Amino acid sequence: MNSTQSPGAAVHIEDLDKYYGSFHALRKINLCVQRGEKVVVCGPSGSGKSTMIRCINRLEQHDGGRITVLGTELNDDVGNIDGIRREVGMVFQHFNLFPHMSVLENCMIAPMMVRKRPRAEAEATARGYLEKVRIPEQAMKFPGQLSGGQQQRVAIARALCMQPQLMLFDEPTSALDPEMIAEVLDVMVTLASEGMTMICVTHEMGFARRVADRVVFMDGGEIVEEAPPAEFFTSCRSERTRQFLSQVLGH
Amino acid sequence: MISLLRNQRVRNTLLQVLYVGSLSGLVLACVMIARRNLAEQGITSGFDFLFKSTGWDVNFSLLPATANDPYWWYFLIGIVNTLFLGTVGLMLATIVGTIVGLARTSSNELARLLGRTYVDIFRNIPLILQVFFWYAVITHLPTPRAAHEAFGMLLTSRGLYLPIPNVGRAALVAAVVAIIAAVALPAWLGRTSRLSQPIGERLGIQLTAAATALATAAVILAFGRLPDLPLLDFPALQGLNLKGGLRIPPEFSALAIAIAIYGGSYIAEIVRGGFKAVGKGQMEAALSLGLSPWRVFTLVRLPLALRAMLPILANQYVWLMKATTMGIAVGFTDFFMIVALTINHSGQTLEAIGILMTGFLGINLSLAAVFNRVNKAIALKGNQLRG
Ligand SMILES: Nc1ncnc2c1ncn2[C@@H]1O[C@H](COP(=O)(O)OP(=O)(O)O)[C@@H](O)[C@H]1O
Ligand SMILES: [Mg+2]
Repeated sequence: MNSTQSPGAAVHIEDLDKYYGSFHALRKINLCVQRGEKVVVCGPSGSGKSTMIRCINRLEQHDGGRITVLGTELNDDVGNIDGIRREVGMVFQHFNLFPHMSVLENCMIAPMMVRKRPRAEAEATARGYLEKVRIPEQAMKFPGQLSGGQQQRVAIARALCMQPQLMLFDEPTSALDPEMIAEVLDVMVTLASEGMTMICVTHEMGFARRVADRVVFMDGGEIVEEAPPAEFFTSCRSERTRQFLSQVLGH
Repeated sequence: MISLLRNQRVRNTLLQVLYVGSLSGLVLACVMIARRNLAEQGITSGFDFLFKSTGWDVNFSLLPATANDPYWWYFLIGIVNTLFLGTVGLMLATIVGTIVGLARTSSNELARLLGRTYVDIFRNIPLILQVFFWYAVITHLPTPRAAHEAFGMLLTSRGLYLPIPNVGRAALVAAVVAIIAAVALPAWLGRTSRLSQPIGERLGIQLTAAATALATAAVILAFGRLPDLPLLDFPALQGLNLKGGLRIPPEFSALAIAIAIYGGSYIAEIVRGGFKAVGKGQMEAALSLGLSPWRVFTLVRLPLALRAMLPILANQYVWLMKATTMGIAVGFTDFFMIVALTINHSGQTLEAIGILMTGFLGINLSLAAVFNRVNKAIALKGNQLRG
């Protein structure tokens, strides 16, 4: 779990099943993401993309199958869950910053509390990542004083401050006004070019073309199709995929 | 001239002046009419009576009281008694409300059911009935001879007897101030300079501050100690009655318990609402960073819930403060009862009621002002939040 060099996949999902009551939200999902790989997940609303990605850090509990993250199996063992959450960063559609803490505190709280970093070190790291997401001057402001795009970049910095080995993105640009989408995607492209392992739920197909090693298409709680972007956008096999693509690319 | 009237600022000022002017005129007219009517009935108005001695006794007072004391001193006694009852009642109600409110938001079904039942029952019984109920219970406790005893405290039908330190009055007041400082100082230190120390060190500083204040209190008590007496004065049976210690009369206990239980049921709902108002997203974000459930609660959920609760809680406190006037129903000499007795004995109805209203207005406005300050200090900054 703790060694970066440990071999094997970053995420290995086998026959994952998930129910909400009697509703079968995920059906026998199989997905393997290698270290350093960037995977884009797309699909119509309600197809189970969020549910799947949230199973990877146990924000949702799965009902069947196996999930192995960075070599640790995700089960009821609290130690395993904590260990995985420490190493897996997540960025949400609605940012979910802590509104009562300054931007800097948002970024420092987890390294100090979870990784027991001394304050000076946590602050230096936080300022470093705020620089990286291009808002170093906002460090002392509060989330409510920033634009949506800035808030999302803070959320990315907050996750990066834990120095995770894997980043999950759940529609990070869907709640943003069009002119702010680019600033967030730029940060994500930079992150990808530095070799971060990423799983992104997004409908930004330009982003998928540019950085994804693989595009996964989901519908009705199933993975319908997965392929490298070049192949995915030109010669997808299923009718459902074609229909979806014509909708998101059509205008 | 006409263009001046079009100016928004001028217009607002003018309206204010008109409003305040007509209001003062109305009040003045009322006072003059009342004075004339009273003079016709041979009652002298004015506040001279404040300096006459009352000639009657109060059954409970934190301040020294004799029948020779003037009215103004009795009003002060009443205000102190009201504040004492209010403080104890509000603190107990907050504790009860927090426990029940947390039970109502818990994931445990039994806890939720118990919390709900509590709220349904105690919120729907009028406060005055609850006061009478607890008063009846307490006055049916055993006589002083058969008192229940625990930790030097005695529980009897004549009241609750607490041991008090044999310490000079001034030293006692100073010690109380020091103890309040022991609580307030760490809280204040926590608010200022949140980022200038690491959280671990900040805790150290807070603990040091609390310890220093407590030590000061101990030193004050040691030096202010009355000579040749044990440090604590324990209540004890002498003949048929109990002597020594501090007697909390049944009237006070009944009121405090009733306010705690009744107010607690309202505060429970406020607490529950506050926790429900916290977005799930923030908690999920905290969990996804690897923070433990306890840290998620103390660092994210509780601070955000408190912010949602505080404005409504302030209203509730003001309301419960006014409810202390129930004291008159069982004969506790709170501010309201002192005023009522004053009216009976002196006939200065208008003046006494004026003092009563001013007093309560003062108490409640200060309470509201404190809460407003706190509210402003911790308000979430910015207007760009969503989700
Ligand atoms: N907490 C929940 N309780 C019940 N049903 C849920 C819950 N979360 C999601 N669902 C259902 O599961 C399905 C998949 O949801 P989701 O993973 O959020 O889809 P997507 O992210 O692809 O839009 C949807 O039909 C949704 O209604
Ligand atoms: Mg979703």
